[in-house]
Amino acid sequence: MSTKTKKGRFGRFGGMFAPETLMPALWEAEEAYERFRGDAHWQTEYQRLLETYNGRPTSLYEAVNLGMRLTGGRARIFLKREDLNHTGAHKITNALGQALLARFMGKERLIAETGAGQHGVATATAAALLGMSCDIFMGTVDMERQKPNVFRMNLLGANVVPVDSGGKTLKDAVNEALRDWTKTVKNTHYAFGSVLGPHPFPFIVRDFQSIIGKECRAQIKKAAGRLPDEVVACVGGGSNAIGIFSAFIKDKNVKLTGVEAGGKGLRGNKHAVRLTPSPYAKPGVLHGSYSYVLQDKSGQIADTHSVSAGLDYSGIGPEHAHLFESGRAAYTYATDTEAVAAFKMLCEAEGIIPALESSHAVAYVIKQAPKLADGSIIVVNLSGRGDKDIDSVAKFLGESI
Amino acid sequence: MNRYKNVFDNVKKRGEAAFIPFAVAGDPGPDAFVDVVAAYVKGGADVLEIGYPFSDPIADGPVNQRAAQRAIKAGFDHSAFFSAIKKIRAFTDIPIGLLAYANTISHLGNDDFCKKAAKAGVDSLLVADMPPEESGELMKSMRKHGLGRVFIVSEFTPDERMRDICRNVDSFVYVVSRPGITGIDTTLSASVKTTLARLKKVTDKPLAVGFGISTPEHVSEVVKAGADGVIVGSALVNEIEKAAVRGVDPAAVLRKKARSLKAATSFAQIHFGL
Repeated sequence: MSTKTKKGRFGRFGGMFAPETLMPALWEAEEAYERFRGDAHWQTEYQRLLETYNGRPTSLYEAVNLGMRLTGGRARIFLKREDLNHTGAHKITNALGQALLARFMGKERLIAETGAGQHGVATATAAALLGMSCDIFMGTVDMERQKPNVFRMNLLGANVVPVDSGGKTLKDAVNEALRDWTKTVKNTHYAFGSVLGPHPFPFIVRDFQSIIGKECRAQIKKAAGRLPDEVVACVGGGSNAIGIFSAFIKDKNVKLTGVEAGGKGLRGNKHAVRLTPSPYAKPGVLHGSYSYVLQDKSGQIADTHSVSAGLDYSGIGPEHAHLFESGRAAYTYATDTEAVAAFKMLCEAEGIIPALESSHAVAYVIKQAPKLADGSIIVVNLSGRGDKDIDSVAKFLGESI
Repeated sequence: MNRYKNVFDNVKKRGEAAFIPFAVAGDPGPDAFVDVVAAYVKGGADVLEIGYPFSDPIADGPVNQRAAQRAIKAGFDHSAFFSAIKKIRAFTDIPIGLLAYANTISHLGNDDFCKKAAKAGVDSLLVADMPPEESGELMKSMRKHGLGRVFIVSEFTPDERMRDICRNVDSFVYVVSRPGITGIDTTLSASVKTTLARLKKVTDKPLAVGFGISTPEHVSEVVKAGADGVIVGSALVNEIEKAAVRGVDPAAVLRKKARSLKAATSFAQIHFGL
């Protein structure tokens, strides 16, 4: 959009599309993050927490049963076990980093948005650990859908702020968190949960999550003696995908594949697919950055649908938009039905209950299996565990718990 | 732009500040919105500030967001907007400022949007989520089609940036009265005075103050603090909502409210309590 400055850009995407009242807070976060990155004391503390509290490094596990079942052993499938992180997903790694950054800046209060509650729980956890006050913004529709997570956040000492505006889901929670922040920047840090929002957040969150890729690159070399042929991750906002992709972007022979939420399919608007062409997907501005955004024919942000709350969002991280347009990463989608089938298959084949988000990435591998070359190696980022999803899956299958 | 200059010059000569009421286009419906604006004009509006309804207005409070939702629900879109502005232009010649969000403009394309807006009769454009850093391309289109530029400054805006912003502005500077978002306040922030004083050191362009200004008393205070214009939004939009809920025509109430707000912009009224 602007050619005047390339600050905070991934190709033509990203930027700082923020109200003037927020600009000083964004500069402050940008400047503080640069210092935080270079500060040995704080970096040591972050590493210590990652190892002793977060549970890093997470393991890389070869899903032999799944590989046999899908390819008869022709191809090897590895799972990056982000489901083994404290609080059950990769989100905690970013939340701990952001909470430390907030403390580094001298802020006493953390705010965050949450959809399914995963990032909310992670932020509430980090706030409890570091003795900060914490407000989590959550749509009232999501609060109703995710009652256990609301209770978890309360147990962790966070205040869950019900958001009753708009569609009352994740998008509205981000709106409300941004509005709060414009009033409270002096003592408050907004811990964005994904590679979204105005600069510097897509960069900060990517940096914190890039540890997934760094670990994985070393682990796969050790386990298989070479780099993988393909790395697959689900993409909501896109932080787990950027996290694992980041270490392989320069390896042109490693195919990078992002899997979006196909919901009920691309006919109609019951999906959250931003990077496969459809009448709804168009570059635009949502929540501070220029990226692909699902919108209606009048330019209003469209509602989305996915069986997985964590992928149910109209925008996508600007770096993904750039990786898509530059052709470095490929993007596809899995429907609700395919994701639930993958969820079940992983439970049965490997004894791992994956998050519904991550199940989309597994679903892609299931579809792709017949086409995999002999001896090929594919890594799936298993971004979270699925205990939180058993109600949704039971409901989807028409079963009662 | 000339429309702005004339208005700010004239109100100054009369010992007043410009009264700038705000409404969301298409609220409570496409035609009813035009009636709302007509009531503002009859009530003494010097300038109009029109918000383009957007589904995710991050700089707005709940009152204006609900207004946008009413408009969107009623099927308001780009063509409805341009035709509403044309209808307004048929009965008034006062400046029309447009407040939009970036996605609304990028959806149509910068050039197409600016061309159509200027042709319909819009005088200036302020994009709530587009700071000067991101406005380069859009400003080219605005210049090309003769749309005036408005940017926001707040008490947090550093001096040097204030100067830059004021240089870029050619219609008026939108001064927010306090940090945060649009809404109805009971008291006026004390920082307005300081912000206006800082601005006067770096610019002689008209300064219009908005956000949270809800009563004639607030208007008087802001004018006393040195504002050239006063923007009243949520307090009026709230009346539109109340009327919409009851299913009555808001025109009479808005006209009356506008008159009392306009009266409060007069220095005579402030100094002599007339």
